[in-house]
Amino acid sequence: MLATLAPPSLVPLTVPAESTISERAIVIAAQRGSDEAFASLVRLHQRRAYAITRAIVLSHEDAEDAVQEGFLHAHRALDRFRPEQPFGAWLYRIMANAALDLVRRRKVRDADELPESIPMPFRDPAESGELRERLQRALTRLTDRQRAVIVMHDVEGFTHGEIGRTLGIPEGTARSDLHHARAMLRRLLQDIRSTS
Amino acid sequence: MTHERWTSGDTELTNALRALYAAPAGESYWDAFEARILDHVARGDVHGGWWDELADMIRPGLIAAAALILVASLAMVHSRQRDAESAYATLITPTPTSMEASTRAASVGDGDVAIHLLLSR
Repeated sequence: MLATLAPPSLVPLTVPAESTISERAIVIAAQRGSDEAFASLVRLHQRRAYAITRAIVLSHEDAEDAVQEGFLHAHRALDRFRPEQPFGAWLYRIMANAALDLVRRRKVRDADELPESIPMPFRDPAESGELRERLQRALTRLTDRQRAVIVMHDVEGFTHGEIGRTLGIPEGTARSDLHHARAMLRRLLQDIRSTS
Repeated sequence: MTHERWTSGDTELTNALRALYAAPAGESYWDAFEARILDHVARGDVHGGWWDELADMIRPGLIAAAALILVASLAMVHSRQRDAESAYATLITPTPTSMEASTRAASVGDGDVAIHLLLSR
């Protein structure tokens, strides 16, 4: 299950020039078949990859599955990657696709099990975990993309441009998704927030 | 960074979001996770790739195909039965064409009798 939770990292996608150079060398070595180099890439990117997939899927376990799938796809496609490109952007796009693919499959599988709407009786928000629980439910009411955008932006500190590149959408769409996601969360959690 | 994102009343919500989505801490977790990723890559089995979806579709596909074959077989048997009944009915029921032919044959026979009668006189 979940280990203790870390404070938000807000690590930017861009890395210093010297890191880029050394990462390029690692990528080239991995492309030549070095397992050790690929392991280094996993070590370098697994946290960020987890953050991206976690923003898209609904549970920690699904995020782990998506990261594993993403790295497997990346390993298989590594020979098609051009080292002069930023490896992180390429990898995170693969991660986002793996997570979206998993969400799609889960949706098909669980379509009959999910209720149309979740009843939310009013209780004192001071009760332990009330906001967390309500927030979790409210997040399921957003579209997959809106949820991903708000989590990537507000939790992980991605810029609109980074979100757009990772999810394969225009920057303006990321901006608009963020606006709608916030509005929806505000509306769904209004009763809790107005009494706290 | 972009912390102007929520208005002052949204701090609690932002914190709740971060608590909900925060990555696991602890190096031991990440070391173990790295090992699992590398193991998954080494085994190379993509759970839920397109071929798994295809495999999921095989069973309902087979059922649909079996149902289709059954319906087609029933329709064929029914059609053959109808053909057989129709052929039998044709055999036992004289058609208008055959009646006309027998009448014509009968009238030719009457003509022969008349010729014989005239010749005998």
